[in-house]
Parts: sequence; C-alpha cells; structure tokens
Amino acid sequence: MAEAKMVNLTIEGRTVSVPEGTSILEAAKTVGILIPHYCYHPSLPIPGVCRMCLVEVEKAPKLSPSCATSVAEGQVVHVHSERALEARKGVLEFLLINHPLDCPICDKSGECELQDFTYQEGPAESRLRDPKRFNPVEDFGGDIMYVPNRCILCTRCVRFMDDVAHDTVLNISERGDRALVGKFEGKDLTHAWAGNIVDLCPVGALLSKDFLNKARAWELDRAASICPNCPQGCNIMIEVRDNSIARLKPRPNDDVNKFFICDYGRLNYRWMNRQDRAELPMVRNGANLAVAEWEVAIHSAARLLKDAKPFVLASPMLSNEALFLLTRLLERKGGTGVFRVATGEEAPLPGVEDLALRRDRAANVHGAELLGYTRSENPLADLGADDVLVIADDDLRGMTVEAAARAKGVIVIGTAVPDGLDNISVVLPIANFTEEEGTFTNLRGRVQRFTQAKSPPGQARPSWLVLGDLLGALGAQDSFFLPSDVFADLANARPEFSGLTYDKLGMRGLPVLNAETAGATR
Amino acid sequence: MAIGVKVLDRPIEDVSYIRATLKGMGLTLKHLFQEKVTVQYPEQKWGISPRWRGTHRMLTTETGKAKCVACGLCPTVCPANCIKLVPGEDEQGNRYPLVFEIDEFRCIFCGYCQEVCPEEAIHVGRHYENSEYSRAGFVYDLERLTSQTHPVCEMWDPEDPKGE
Repeated sequence: MAEAKMVNLTIEGRTVSVPEGTSILEAAKTVGILIPHYCYHPSLPIPGVCRMCLVEVEKAPKLSPSCATSVAEGQVVHVHSERALEARKGVLEFLLINHPLDCPICDKSGECELQDFTYQEGPAESRLRDPKRFNPVEDFGGDIMYVPNRCILCTRCVRFMDDVAHDTVLNISERGDRALVGKFEGKDLTHAWAGNIVDLCPVGALLSKDFLNKARAWELDRAASICPNCPQGCNIMIEVRDNSIARLKPRPNDDVNKFFICDYGRLNYRWMNRQDRAELPMVRNGANLAVAEWEVAIHSAARLLKDAKPFVLASPMLSNEALFLLTRLLERKGGTGVFRVATGEEAPLPGVEDLALRRDRAANVHGAELLGYTRSENPLADLGADDVLVIADDDLRGMTVEAAARAKGVIVIGTAVPDGLDNISVVLPIANFTEEEGTFTNLRGRVQRFTQAKSPPGQARPSWLVLGDLLGALGAQDSFFLPSDVFADLANARPEFSGLTYDKLGMRGLPVLNAETAGATR
Repeated sequence: MAIGVKVLDRPIEDVSYIRATLKGMGLTLKHLFQEKVTVQYPEQKWGISPRWRGTHRMLTTETGKAKCVACGLCPTVCPANCIKLVPGEDEQGNRYPLVFEIDEFRCIFCGYCQEVCPEEAIHVGRHYENSEYSRAGFVYDLERLTSQTHPVCEMWDPEDPKGE
C-alpha cells in the first residue's frame, strides 16, 4: 500500500497529523478529544443523522458534522467553542424530548452515551411540558428486545443489519416524531451475529433479554479475555458480578474480530459458572476417592507416571501453556497426545473479512495441533494396556469410555470429575480459562492472551501451576511461579513461538512464525 | 518528745455547715416548684427531630408493593455496604428487587440511601426503639421494611437549613 498523504490541522489548539481522508472525529480521537456522537461508528457507513458531532471549523459558514467532514490542510477546529457547545446542547434537548429518563430501571444506565454526553454538555432541565410519546416494548426475536421510548434513532442497528450482517431485518418505520425502529414483516433478528446491535446501541433501546435486569453496569468487574467457543479467537471482555460471569462483551481488535462477537459465543457462558466443579485434590483409597493434600495428590500422580508411558487425552480448551507442559510429560517416556473437538455449523459475518463462528467449537484447536497433539474421533482407540491415561480437562461426554479400563491408571487433571469412569486414581482440580491466565492460538496462528476474571472454586489451582508441580515431582524441572515463565519456556522450546513473550503479545496478540495470515507483522 | 500541733483558727462563717445546708435546701425547694423535665419513658415519649435518621422503612405503592425498582443506587452509595440487592422481574415484567436486605447493625444511619433514591422508596425512619431476640433479626428484608409504619425522616434541605 502506498504511503497515504498526511494532512496537518489544529484541533482545540493541538496540532494533528493524520492521513488524507480521515474524518475530523477520528483525527480528534488521536489527540485524546472525544467529540460526542451517536450515529457514527467506525465499523459502519456514515449517515450523519444525529447531528451530535457538530464542531466549529474556522472559515466554514456553518458548523460541520465532524464524522462526515474530512480533514483539510491548515484547518482549525474548535470542539468546545461556545457556538459548537450551544448547538450540541440543542441537539441533546431535542433527543431528550421523548426520552423517558428512566435511567434507574434501564439496563444501559452507567454505560449509556446519552447519559454521559447529557452530563457533559446537555441541558439541566427540559422545557417540554406536553406528555411524552409512548410506544410499547417490542420483542425483536433472538436475544433482543426493543424499547422504542428510549430510542434516539441513530440507525446504527439498521445499518449493522444491512451492511455488516447482510440480512435486512430492521428499518425506520413511521415519520417525524412518530419514527421508530421496526422489523420487516415476517422477519426476526435470528441472524447469528444479531446480538451485536445491543452493543452498538448508544442508549438502552436495544437490550439483551439474557442480561435484562441482572446487574448494573457499574457493579461489573471486567477482565480482557478470548472467546473460547471457536478457533476464531474473538477478543472479549468478561464481565463478572459477585464472582459469577454476568455477560460477555466484544473487545475491539482490528486484526481478528473488529468490534463484534457472535451470539453463540456471547450467550454460551453458563458453563463457566457451573457449580459442580472438582474443588479438592483426590486420591484413590480402596473403592473410593478420598480427599488428599495437594502434595500427596501430586506425588501419587507422579508415582503412577514414573515408569509408565503416559497417554494424554487433552482438551482443546486448555491454554498453550498447559498443553505445552503436557507435551513435556509425553516427552519423558514417548507417550501419545490426542484431543477431540465438538463441531457445529459455521456462521460467517459477511460484512467483515475472515470472521465467522467456525465449525470447531473449541478455542485452542490450532494450538494443540501446533504442539503435536493428534485430532481423533475415537481418541482412546490407541490406548495401550500399560499406559497411564491422563485426562486433561476432557469431560468424556458423548464418548465411549470402555477402553479406559485397559489403562494402568487414570489421572484426571480437570475442572470436573468426568462421569462413567470407575478406575480414576488421582484427581487434580484445575481452574477453567476464566480463572487463570494463559494464551490461545487461533486458527490463523495468532497467539492471544487471556486474563483472570474470577477466582477458582475450592482448592483448584491454575492448570500451568499443577502441571509444573507434577513435572517437578517427576524431577523433570523446577516449578513455575508465573504463567509468563511457562510461556517463556514454550517460546524457547518451540521454534514457532520463538521470540514471543507476554509483553510483546500485549492484549492484541501476535501470529506465530509461518502463520497463514499474509502480511502479518511480528 | 511531743510533736507540736498547730491549731488553725478558722472563721466560723467558713466552717459552719448550716449556711451550706440551707443553700442546698433552697435549691432543692426551688426545683420542687419548677416544671418537671423527667420523661416517664416508656409510658411517655419525647418527640424527636423531623430530621432524625433511624431504622429504615420502604414505602409502598397503592397496591402495597414496594416502590423500589432495584436501580442499585443505594447499595452503590452506601458507605457501610449494608444493603444487599438482587434485581429481577415481578409478575408484570417490571424491574423489581428479588432480594432487598439492610443489615441495621452495619448501617451508620447516614441517610444517603434516602437521598439517592430516585423513586423515593427507601427512607430512614424517625424511630429509635429497636430490639430483637437474635442478631439475624436486625437484617431487615423487604417484607419487614415494607410492613413498618413509623414516620420517616424529612431530609435536610440546603435551602431551608433550619427546617422551617
């Protein structure tokens, strides 16, 4: 790509240099000035309907909508001049005419752009003395409901469905002050990515039925993470209330998912809160599994593995770190590592290149393959009679487990004790991916970090810590103190990961060597 | 050798108890005829300030339901963290508290909850007689809060600081 011509201008007394064709609004963002806006969204076409982003440009006869005005050489822009503030205050007063101001019961309260900008520069009191317009709440299908009273008609949702999801469902019905967002006859918001319009909505007009009345925005603790539901590796924000995950939100990443996540990923979070977890380490004592100290459990697992060949059934939901430490276990006696993946239907988002809910429904399929695990439909087929079966977080659901009886011993390193196995020797409870730190490798070979969102139940420990201790007990190496230590070891041992560190990955991730994505920079 | 004792010669008007006794009796007699200040509690009660902040009360709508819409502002503003609120929906699909509990032992009676409430639902009460058989009894749930009838606090008004 040719180097774009740079344009110099002044915004609020600050000199800005941006490529030609950038809007004033985007240019202002680069120097930390957020011009209030509603209809503009970086991922959508620019209609300029809300008139909220009006700014004063010197030598221009009228105020200019900054979202739709390109920068020009030598332009002088005033965002907070008296004229611009007065205009935006007027726009806000019009928007608030029919807005019910029911913030106390609105789910958007606390993260609402209308609330924020009204506090910033809106009028303190309404001059309207007539009754407000009223329309009943409407069910838009899928996970979405529409509260027309709160709608400010920014048309972000309509444009998302038309131009990004390519599924024309929504429109603006009626005219003038009766206008509202409507559904076309016989259509419903059943598109696999429709849930994004809830995030796009700047006010509380479009709400998720799943999250309805569950928590206030300011009560939620947020942790940056990666969606674990498919190898696409969309960046997400996990939002937690009282150590229980309340909802998942997309986290912008231009190289992976832009601003979006699919509805499947958004709503499939209940398993992360499951209560029937393995909480205490257990060791077989006669016919039963008895609760044991961590040291005891680790050492009895190490005793089993000392002279036997391990056979690892890993879950592709495990982090690169855990999978790597399991390969260390395999290297000792030349064992085999296998994994299985549940599959579903692929659901692309047509408006964004290379973004889809993929067929495989697990986060780290690519990472597991890179680290030398074999994908198998019937993973226990090759289990030898003298092998020690290590079940690493696979729940064995929908799988025949008779073959497991052949094993010399069974070690479960998992978030829950799987059903249907009566020869488990040791259970080592681990944290699930929301309770520990680590990395996933997505299907384009991009290594992305996820952070801890909540605390693990009982005595469960992070997977990398448990596996590090187990390797330590086998005399293979020292224990690890941090997941970044494990990742540093991984980067040393595997050429694909060489040069990568947690610091270099940042929160946006980097591709492994020879990744499929052309033009990806390291 | 005898120890010499110095006998002080004090004036009679200083050492006589008669004058002091009469003075004291005089004061007592004076109070006998004054207005009595003792309140015969609990038969008799002293009125408290309209701005008194005591144990809470939740006001109700005409239908007897709590006015609370579970907006979550009172648990947010509460400096003592004594309010537990779990929002949910009622039968009509309106936002409504599923759980609303105030731990009166933790409460510091600052009255912020009443001040912040957008629905004028939660109030601190003009009430000071609190006794329970157990500590758990001082965690007031929604039923307890709505069933109380004592008058509620009239908040301090910055434009009318003396409450006139």
